[in-house]
Amino acid sequence: MGVTLSGQDVIQTIINGLCMGGMYILIGMGLTIILSIMNILQFAHGEVYMLGAFTVYFLCVLHGVNLYLAVLVSMFTTAIIGLLIERILLRPLKGVFMSYVCVTTGLSLIMQTAVLLSFTKGTKQLPSLWKGPLDVYGVFISKERIVAIVIALFLTLGLYIFLKQTKYGLAMTASAQNREGALMQGINPNVMSAMAMAIGSGLAAVGGALGGSIFNLDPYMGGLAFLKGITLIVIGGLGSIPGTVVGGLILGIAESVLALFFGSQMGIILPLILVIAFLVFRPKGLFGHD
Amino acid sequence: MLLEIKNLWVNYGGSDILKGISFEVEEGSIVTYLGNNGAGKSTTLRAICGLKPPASGEIWFNGKRIDGKLPEDIIKLGLGHVLEGRALFPYMSVLENLVVGAYLQKNRRQINSTLEEVYTHFPRLKERVSQQARTLSGGEQQMLAIARALMGKPKLLLLDEPSLGLSPLMIKEIGKIIQEIQKRGTSVLLVEQNARLALGIAQTGYVLETGEIVLSGDAKILLNDPQVKRAYLGI
Repeated sequence: MGVTLSGQDVIQTIINGLCMGGMYILIGMGLTIILSIMNILQFAHGEVYMLGAFTVYFLCVLHGVNLYLAVLVSMFTTAIIGLLIERILLRPLKGVFMSYVCVTTGLSLIMQTAVLLSFTKGTKQLPSLWKGPLDVYGVFISKERIVAIVIALFLTLGLYIFLKQTKYGLAMTASAQNREGALMQGINPNVMSAMAMAIGSGLAAVGGALGGSIFNLDPYMGGLAFLKGITLIVIGGLGSIPGTVVGGLILGIAESVLALFFGSQMGIILPLILVIAFLVFRPKGLFGHD
Repeated sequence: MLLEIKNLWVNYGGSDILKGISFEVEEGSIVTYLGNNGAGKSTTLRAICGLKPPASGEIWFNGKRIDGKLPEDIIKLGLGHVLEGRALFPYMSVLENLVVGAYLQKNRRQINSTLEEVYTHFPRLKERVSQQARTLSGGEQQMLAIARALMGKPKLLLLDEPSLGLSPLMIKEIGKIIQEIQKRGTSVLLVEQNARLALGIAQTGYVLETGEIVLSGDAKILLNDPQVKRAYLGI
């Protein structure tokens, strides 16, 4: 490691951080929406993310579908899978907390094994979103990371507008803030849960696709992603979209800066240190309520 | 009858909170339901709107039997409920709270005219449309909770202790608002500990004690009943 950092290093570190942050945000938003609407931690959310990546792999690499179309298809099919999980597995549990923990944990193992058995062994990677570097005044930036950042930004903005401006979005926000108050306006809690699962799962699938184009795919990739998602919720504050975004960017950039100095292993330790620090010093997170 | 309750029993954790309650709310009237803490007033309202399914008995609303139905289906029939503690959406603006109140209304033009109507009743809310609900004063929060329920154009409004924690001046204002609500054709079932306020504006009153109705009748007569005077008016 050199003592002096070039402009190239700095820019690349920031871009990497933003890109990782964007991916984490896509995972974390789903987790935080599901947690605040349904009051459950969806332990299989990381596997939903993994499934999103493998769907893109299946369509794009094995069947030659255009990459961007494959990501779009994956987003919608995974959203439907989220709907089905809510309807078939979660709704019958009727709010019993331990049942949710058992069912979603079991589901994560089932999904890992199912994907493991469905695909051949060996290294799998998605094609690059956009090959090659971009030359900005002599600084080279990887184009695929830019694309990943733009996609994450676009989806986050879309979700924010949905929650702020549409009737169903406002109803979801309301349900998250006061469940009984929302019930008394005639809002059907099952519809809200289904929407939370569909939206959260669709966003996680895109996160998986972005992750899969940067790293290798494997059936266990969801575990670490889930951990990052939880970290975002703790840093940003439960149920807060701005909190999730800021938390994701902090985590992504901190990881890539630490990786520059201390190697990428720090990337796995850091989230845990941050979680502990926040739980001790600011349990409600940066933007959390109460 | 707009609302009819027949021999209602509600059970919480093995003990009977309501022991065979029967009462009714006539269309266009204000009915008050008095009683001390823990008498079962809120439980009655929660049973009516489906938040707490009754153990036995019947609840009829506007000619339909509603006991055992889900809250979202009951609210759809034209019931508004201002919960105890207001149950606002604290981090949403006043306007957003009101918009969510109109969740079941389909016609956008009608929603806007209801909103205008609500603003004429609650000019203070209009001044604070973009403020977050949690930043309002207690009285304003109570107004917002009532206004939000009115956005759903209910036939019957259930009000759970609207005077709780408010200044005497604000209590008077809430009383006026309830009378205005009646004038525009919405019936009100008012649960109160403040008997003076409640009996002052209601036509009929029921007094609840440990899960049973012990007194009922014309509100003006109840106001002068020695038992009520001693127990609830502190005279």
